[in-house]
Amino acid sequence: MNGASPPILAVRGVTMRFGGFTALSNVTASFPQGQLTAIIGPNGAGKSTLFNVLSGALPPTDGEVLFNGRSIAGMRQHHFARLGISKSFQITNIFPDLTALENVRIAIQAMTTRFNIWTPRSRLTEMEDRAAELLSDVGLAAHMRRIASELAHGEQRALEIAMAVACKPKVLLLDEPTAGMSPEETVEIMQVILRLAERCTVILVEHKMKLVMDISNHILVLHHGEFLAEGTPDEIRANSEVRRVYLGEGRR
Amino acid sequence: MTLNLFLLQLFTGVALGSVFVLLAIGLSLIFGLLTVVNFAHGAFYMVGAYVGVFLLGLTGNFWVALILVPFVVGAMGLVVERFLVRPLYGRGIDYPLLLTFGLGLVLVELVRIVFGLEGVPFDVPDALQGAVNIGIGWFPLYRLFLIAVTIALVVGLWLFLEKTSFGLIIRAGARDPEIMRVLGVDISRVWLMVFGIGTGLAGVAGVLSAPMTSVIPDMGTSVLVEAFVVTVVGGMGSLLGAVVAGLMVGIIISMTALFYPELADLAMFILMAAVLLVRPQGLFGRKGLMG
Amino acid sequence: MRVTSTKSSPNLFNRLAEIIGRYRVLAVLVVLLIFPFVLPYQALAANILIYGLFALGFNLVFGYAGVLSFGHAAFFGIGAYGTGIAIVHFAAPWYLAIPLGVVAAGVTAMIMGALAIRTRGIYFAMVTLALAQCVYYIVYQLDGWSGGEDGLTGVTVRQVDLGLMHFSLFNPTAKYFFILAFVAVAIYVFSRILASPFGAVLEAIRENEDRARACGFDVRLTKWIAFVISGLFCGLAGALYAIHLSVVPIEVLHYHMSGQVVMMALLGGMGTFFGPFIGATVFLLLEDVVTTLTSHWQLVLGLVFMACVLFFPRGIWGSILRWIRP
Repeated sequence: MNGASPPILAVRGVTMRFGGFTALSNVTASFPQGQLTAIIGPNGAGKSTLFNVLSGALPPTDGEVLFNGRSIAGMRQHHFARLGISKSFQITNIFPDLTALENVRIAIQAMTTRFNIWTPRSRLTEMEDRAAELLSDVGLAAHMRRIASELAHGEQRALEIAMAVACKPKVLLLDEPTAGMSPEETVEIMQVILRLAERCTVILVEHKMKLVMDISNHILVLHHGEFLAEGTPDEIRANSEVRRVYLGEGRR
Repeated sequence: MTLNLFLLQLFTGVALGSVFVLLAIGLSLIFGLLTVVNFAHGAFYMVGAYVGVFLLGLTGNFWVALILVPFVVGAMGLVVERFLVRPLYGRGIDYPLLLTFGLGLVLVELVRIVFGLEGVPFDVPDALQGAVNIGIGWFPLYRLFLIAVTIALVVGLWLFLEKTSFGLIIRAGARDPEIMRVLGVDISRVWLMVFGIGTGLAGVAGVLSAPMTSVIPDMGTSVLVEAFVVTVVGGMGSLLGAVVAGLMVGIIISMTALFYPELADLAMFILMAAVLLVRPQGLFGRKGLMG
Repeated sequence: MRVTSTKSSPNLFNRLAEIIGRYRVLAVLVVLLIFPFVLPYQALAANILIYGLFALGFNLVFGYAGVLSFGHAAFFGIGAYGTGIAIVHFAAPWYLAIPLGVVAAGVTAMIMGALAIRTRGIYFAMVTLALAQCVYYIVYQLDGWSGGEDGLTGVTVRQVDLGLMHFSLFNPTAKYFFILAFVAVAIYVFSRILASPFGAVLEAIRENEDRARACGFDVRLTKWIAFVISGLFCGLAGALYAIHLSVVPIEVLHYHMSGQVVMMALLGGMGTFFGPFIGATVFLLLEDVVTTLTSHWQLVLGLVFMACVLFFPRGIWGSILRWIRP
């Protein structure tokens, strides 16, 4: 247990079944506040399922999801977002036909003016300024007016992260943020993630072991839908169980 | 009001429901596999009745007409799927729906041009005329026949889906189209066949109800709405749902016609609203199919 | 020279489109102001106004929020019957009867929307169609109020008095501009809604519903609100229709009416501002021409509909936009 920081998000005995298939079985784990936690595990370990449970996309079959000690399992997804649990997707998930700026502005709007049907958007300059600022933060200052679907893959991921941050998250969930990226893009996104981690708790699902070991300060290992280990990168590296099921397989 | 009258009306509801069952199964089958809502389903039903009229006039034999209709209408379905619906796959689920809506208008108008606006008589065949005593009273023989044919078709379809390899492919495909791609099944052929079977069932429903209703070009309009209600109540893509909900709607319509005639048109909508409130995916629907 | 001219021409179109887009409300109004003087007869011009407004309202749900409703005849019809009943049975003045029709349509949309929104995707079209048909049966049976099969007759507004101004609605030109006044306000309001943050949310939902949900939007509630707003616009169109025709035929509630408005929106270009009015104009002109040639208008309608879906899904204005902004 990390004595230093209390968990902002935790799961207690979470089980997730799809028909006859059990994707997660009685998983208990916690995600310390202000830390960068990585969820790892071999293919089929249940990482994405846990990710979806944490983001509210899937209500668990059984068990509790706690946000600051309060049970939130079963709430609808937009409530998760408004509590400050913001997610970015495994597949690039943006509003393809809108400009980069509009993409981010919509995300900001979700936290501020949801049902204003009268004021022209062009007059809400505050919102636009903030969107521009967020885009600069992720290195997209030059591409604000471009249609999102025309951006390069790495730029779209950056845009998506800007959108996730726009929700003023307390917890930011990232599902394989570097999937399908070139090495240069990966380095850039890593720097963006590290900057984000200064502002909020980050939880990410990631395949690339080296990346995980380099940037996270807390790691959760799943195997066949079950909890396997939890600890600092050094502890995980030293854990014989983990080496056997995960690192061992990776080195084969 | 006697108990017997009540039971007879119940039986009338089952006969009415049989038509809905056939329609809803076709609709549901097409949707379950192709995620296409066939708005021309009512028109195919109407075409089934008219093809029946035509074949009856040609051969003078009801049985020949009854057996040929599903193949003729099914073949029309094949052509529609292959040349009109197929180009629209992957362009959003609304497009096939809109296309079949337009197709429905065209089919109705074509029938008007060929057969005229007036209703066409379609007599109950001699062998099926009259009524039989079914213990609770006299019941039209033709309606018993209709119920029997429906049972035979539903059981046949069930056996086809459960016991044949083609049926297995259909069931697997309805659950997860990816599986078929992985197994190397030619999906487009399966879709084609399913569209044909679905429209063929609509055609049978049309020719079977022809002797009980007036055969007019607009006969498919209200039936389409009824088939939709049945599908929403039963749950899209569920065979069992189509059967149960079809019978439920048939019985509810005939029962309200007996007790509160002024509510007969509305009763099924009340049922649908109730189902939407309590179980929006339908009585036997799965949540996954709603997306 | 040649090279520069071919280069600059798309730019010119582009700029033109941009200017028209900026002053879109004005652009529609200018066209509508000259309409009665260029069309063969005034009743057609008034019809285009009314159906254009109907399609505009429908387009909010179909084109902007990306939800296909096949039940919009209910709002148009209830708007028409609401206004008609207020005038026929309660001798209400037009300035009360019209808002009454609009409110009635809005309430209908609230109820229908609340039921239909519980389903998603393709179910929506089926459920809205069924519920609209339910509205049809209800109105049909209340024949003491609605006139049943014969429709509601005697929806006559003779004279409009506006303090200084008063004119007779028996004069077709006066009637056209009377209707246009309502349509103009509606277009302005519609444009404001599209430009508002709420309009942005609708487009976001159409583009990527899951993402909008993850951003923190209550997608279901947003769609419901859009559905009700859309119902209000269509209700106004229906109310004006009742006054324009002086009768309300039961066919306004039939699902072919819902199909017609889908067709107009699709023909003009769904999700575009000008599309609905262009679609309504082309549709009604086509109907006008075809019905003089053949009694099988429905055949032509169905074929055009299918051709649109197969070959022309962007519609007229959508294709023009595509052409000038490749």
